[in-house]
Amino acid sequence: MTGNNEQVRGKARYAAGVLEYRKMGYWEPDYDPKDTDIIALFRITPQDGVDPIEAAAAVAGESSTATWTVVWTDRLTACDKYRAKAYRVDPVPHEPGQYFAYIAYDLDLFEGGSIANLTASIIGNVFGFKPLKGLRLEDMRLPVAYVKTFQGPATGIVVERERLGVFGRPLLGATVKPKLGLSGRNYGRVVYEALKGGLDFTKDDENINSQPFMHWRDRFLYCMEAVNKASAATGEIKGTYLNVTAGTMEEMYKRAEFAKELGSVIIMIDLVIGYTAIQSMAKWSRDNDMILHLHRAGHSTYTRQKSHGVSFRVISKWMRLAGVDHIHAGTVVGKLEGDPATTKGYYDICREEFNPQALENGIFFDQHWTSLNKMMPVASGGIHAGQMHQLIHYLGEDVVLQFGGGTIGHPHGIQAGAEANRVALEAMVFARNSGRDYFAEGPQILADAAKTCTPLQQALDTWKGVTFDYASTDAPDYAPTNTPS
Amino acid sequence: MRVTQGAFSFLPDLTDQQIHTQVQYCIDNDWAVSLEYTDDPHPRNTYWEMWGHPMFDNPDAAAVVYELNECRKIHGGKYIRIMAFDSTAGWESVRLSFIANRPKTEKGFRLSREEIRGRSVRYSITPYSTDLPEGERY
Amino acid sequence: MCSEEVLGEEQEIVEEVDLAKDFKESGVGEILDELDTSLTGLEPVKTRIRETAALLIVDKARRKLGLVNEPLTLHMSFSGNPGTGKTTLALKMADLLHKLGFVRKGHLVSVTRDDLVGQYIGHTAPKTKEVLKKAMGGVLFIDEAYYLYRPENERDYGQEAIEILLQVMENNRDDLVVILAGYKDKMAKFFESNPGFRSRIAHHIEFPDYTSDELLEIAQKTLKEQHYKLTPQAIVALSDYIRLRRDQAHFANARSIRNALDRARLRHANRIFNESIGLLNADQLSTIDDVDILSSRVFKGGIDNF
Repeated sequence: MTGNNEQVRGKARYAAGVLEYRKMGYWEPDYDPKDTDIIALFRITPQDGVDPIEAAAAVAGESSTATWTVVWTDRLTACDKYRAKAYRVDPVPHEPGQYFAYIAYDLDLFEGGSIANLTASIIGNVFGFKPLKGLRLEDMRLPVAYVKTFQGPATGIVVERERLGVFGRPLLGATVKPKLGLSGRNYGRVVYEALKGGLDFTKDDENINSQPFMHWRDRFLYCMEAVNKASAATGEIKGTYLNVTAGTMEEMYKRAEFAKELGSVIIMIDLVIGYTAIQSMAKWSRDNDMILHLHRAGHSTYTRQKSHGVSFRVISKWMRLAGVDHIHAGTVVGKLEGDPATTKGYYDICREEFNPQALENGIFFDQHWTSLNKMMPVASGGIHAGQMHQLIHYLGEDVVLQFGGGTIGHPHGIQAGAEANRVALEAMVFARNSGRDYFAEGPQILADAAKTCTPLQQALDTWKGVTFDYASTDAPDYAPTNTPS
Repeated sequence: MRVTQGAFSFLPDLTDQQIHTQVQYCIDNDWAVSLEYTDDPHPRNTYWEMWGHPMFDNPDAAAVVYELNECRKIHGGKYIRIMAFDSTAGWESVRLSFIANRPKTEKGFRLSREEIRGRSVRYSITPYSTDLPEGERY
Repeated sequence: MCSEEVLGEEQEIVEEVDLAKDFKESGVGEILDELDTSLTGLEPVKTRIRETAALLIVDKARRKLGLVNEPLTLHMSFSGNPGTGKTTLALKMADLLHKLGFVRKGHLVSVTRDDLVGQYIGHTAPKTKEVLKKAMGGVLFIDEAYYLYRPENERDYGQEAIEILLQVMENNRDDLVVILAGYKDKMAKFFESNPGFRSRIAHHIEFPDYTSDELLEIAQKTLKEQHYKLTPQAIVALSDYIRLRRDQAHFANARSIRNALDRARLRHANRIFNESIGLLNADQLSTIDDVDILSSRVFKGGIDNF
């Protein structure tokens, strides 16, 4: 790092004009973050010629108290406290021109229990800042005092399982396909077949709301007929994520109330409704004994590229605070982006009480969750029964595995598809509990289970060898052994 | 009709040896394993009858299989399930549950519909077995 | 839903076995060696254990070849006077059975009548079953087993415990091994009046009393483990003690000697505490002299407790 980083103090600090951010107090290399500070880790790519420390200080400034010029009104405040402090800048391994900047924020900069307030500061202005080519929020350390101001997941993994009566295996789901165009009556058919065949859940897709081909009440009514019929046919509690996403909060509440009236165990919202709407729906769900499923619609616009945006691990943290019960968190083996190590980081954020720093999984900070409920991650997109051993190995037991095409696309129908998935799942969990090396022996375990389950054999034959093997755009920057000081 | 509650209902009925293996997995995880039976398999019938307390102090799954067979002597015509309880903070709930015994012929459930306001329907699921008084169901 | 059996574990049948290799891999050799070195005397017992181990290894090999399917009956009786090493041997036996794969866990649950038999109607069966379940996967050691049977009282709840025990010993031979232990003559009587037990016990092992020399050796070993030693005079005193004590009532072999040593240490501690006027070294703190032994009541015609 070059240049004079010395903070300007006293009268000179507040002389009218423009002063470098690092000299205004936004760069404090000796700062030792307090336990109550919120810490943000940004990946910054300064424009050519811009000093990385100045860039980090600028991010700290612009995401807290600063504006482009010195203002005398600072001196009416305890401004030393309110200034965010960039305290550490590390070059990103193997990425010349990129730096990890650690910035600490005093807790008093934030209103408790409001993701909107948190994000307005942390990602409010800085992402368009001209001296930076790119800026990405990689991770955040949320202090216990702050976490405690949030409700957290309305239901949580434990109570969701208790309500459903399903213990010891992943849950199974499927998204109704085609996403668009089915009438309510036809839509309910898919739901009934899939649930009767052995799935626990079916799901509306993110863009199924209330369109001309199927208005929302029709969908809710037919879906609940299907759910109850399947429940009576199997003796199991079944659910379908009724998407209540709509244009206004009033409309969403109305739809949620109707879902409750019909006896649905679960409703669904899209990430695009916004953080405040999500928190409102989470509160409604807690008050109405409802499981709240979140479809992360739109996230890839800002989570996918490493150089700019917000990492999905940060979104996961915000969503655990905001209080959703289900969150799509990647499949590793399916059709959508997801490197195994990075995905493990997301899953840990959803499900653990404490996340230790794990750079190999992209987790930069120890994070306590102060007994906030656990979120159930959902794996959806291009997965099929033949990958069951990999799915359980990578994703564990507390997860909803959603086979949309892998259920509805089965050559012998939706029930057969659902049955194939359920048999594959139970056989794999059984083998795991029996102490077998199910990851290595997975294909054999499936082949054996298929001997007495024709639908599974057909599924294995149909999707044999279907993999989505592309280079990840979001792998961790640190190899497991390469731990920086 | 086959009630498919629990983790392994889509597999062939488990042998005692297979049950032993699954129970041993639970014991090795420090979970307490218990047996419950019922003649009312309604999906929301949470509290089946307990066959003794959860077994906290038995290192070998043979103890559970032994009790399962004792339970079968009296309730062999009913549903019997095995549940494993985890007392770890943050869980404190059931971690594995599966059916270990079921009636030879399962009677299934009646779905009743009551039309209420608008097009809404109020659904009710009733096990056919509960049409009969207790003691005569299976 | 799928039918039929696909998930069962089957025992693979092989064509040849290597007994020496099986023996080596089982780790049983180490147990037998340890028995030899760590336990004084008990030669007939050690021989019986070695024979039993050989039988088990051969039986295991025969299973591998598909020659045997029936579970082996492994229940045993250990008869002998108190303090002859029955519990210690039961622990080793549990370990041995575990290493050879005849019990899954290899723990020892040691009980007496009070642990099995209840105080009121309906109390005994659950009590006995709890103990049996705890012992499953390992070895159940019932000390003074004959107290379960009280023919003088027709309504004795012990009979209920006996019935459950017999049932489990028969039906759950794979799940646990029961060792019944007690005085030789009382055990013999017990088996006479309980043919059910007699027929279910495959191995009877008798524990002889220790000779006086063996007891002296045990005493010295015990003291060495506790970092004490005896003066030459003390060794003579202890030999005299053993000779006198073993003819007295309530003599419990090694246990009596260990108790005597505990008392000797107490007297030693008192003596050096009262005598000491200056600094003491490690040697003084750990040397037991004849006076510490000779002040026992045994030398005055009295009886030491056990």
